[in-house]
Amino acid sequence: MEEIEKLRKENVQLKTINENKSDVISITAHQLRTSLSALKWILKMFIDEDVGKLTNEQSELINKAYSSNERMLSLVNDLLTLSHTEDASITYAFEKIDFLKLIEQSLFDFSGETSKKGVELIFLRPEGFLPPILGDKEMVRVIVQNLIENSIKYSNNGGKVFISLKQVDEKIQFSVRDTGIGINKEDKDKIFTKFFRASNAIQKDNIGSGLGLFTTKNIVERHGGKIWFENAEDGGATFFVLLPISSII
Amino acid sequence: MKKILIIEDDSFLLELEAGKLKNEGYEIITASSGEEGLLKINEPNIEIILLDLILPNFDGFEILKKLKETDELKHIPVIVFSNLSEEKDILKSKELGASNFMVKSNFTLDELVKQIKKVLE
Repeated sequence: MEEIEKLRKENVQLKTINENKSDVISITAHQLRTSLSALKWILKMFIDEDVGKLTNEQSELINKAYSSNERMLSLVNDLLTLSHTEDASITYAFEKIDFLKLIEQSLFDFSGETSKKGVELIFLRPEGFLPPILGDKEMVRVIVQNLIENSIKYSNNGGKVFISLKQVDEKIQFSVRDTGIGINKEDKDKIFTKFFRASNAIQKDNIGSGLGLFTTKNIVERHGGKIWFENAEDGGATFFVLLPISSII
Repeated sequence: MKKILIIEDDSFLLELEAGKLKNEGYEIITASSGEEGLLKINEPNIEIILLDLILPNFDGFEILKKLKETDELKHIPVIVFSNLSEEKDILKSKELGASNFMVKSNFTLDELVKQIKKVLE
């Protein structure tokens, strides 16, 4: 009995430490972003020559500073997500999730991103009933966000992104199809590895940290699911995720 | 001239946001705390509110709540402009009636102006 009580106390302590750690990371990220936002806006004013004409050399240097700041921002974003997902000591809170509803809620987050690039986000709602999945809501949201965010990022201006859901045996399949740059054959096996960035992805957007897909795969696997992708013949790629249906009644 | 209320406690960011929007031809009023924000939302003819979330005294959610509860104010669109990005904050803002949620560091000021124009259409 004493041993159980000791373990219970330790468990409570560990949970508190984890919560505190999470708060520190969240506050630090917020503060970093505030300073980096100011830098971003000011550098953009120089780039747009709002504050006077630049020489070619000045323009080149300011553009490099802007890119460097963007890389830093991207790293802050990805580390924030990674800190929530890679920590094995964080227990996932598995529950029944209405996947359809979760996607509908997540689409709201992308209104800014899509209008920025003129990309159309199309949710092909499934007909009929879909059983709930078993997952951690916050983590499943990260899966949805990362995949949609990538497809917008690697789409050309005016492109389309299709999101769909369907039941496949005892699992629900979530897929995101884009009309973007696709994935080169030689990068096929490395796409989910930590810090890997495909050469055509760097060309399109040199900002990413190579942590997004790694994090996503990590979460999918902790759910007992599967993630993969296929290239479309007419360009672009489709990412698929299978997550188990909940057996909780 | 369309009137925008900016509620932002970081004086430097506030200066940059207000400067940009003034240049775009908007009339700007500002508040640098939640308390001041709660007073300023009652000013006449505000067409849109740009709202930070972490604020001294009362946070941005309190302001959203107040707007939602007040018949004369609940029609004013609110763009949440914050450096918080956790899902719980986005969902809470949406539930409390925000039109948009923009993470400051993901957007340039030109993109902010574009978004404001879109909401005002």
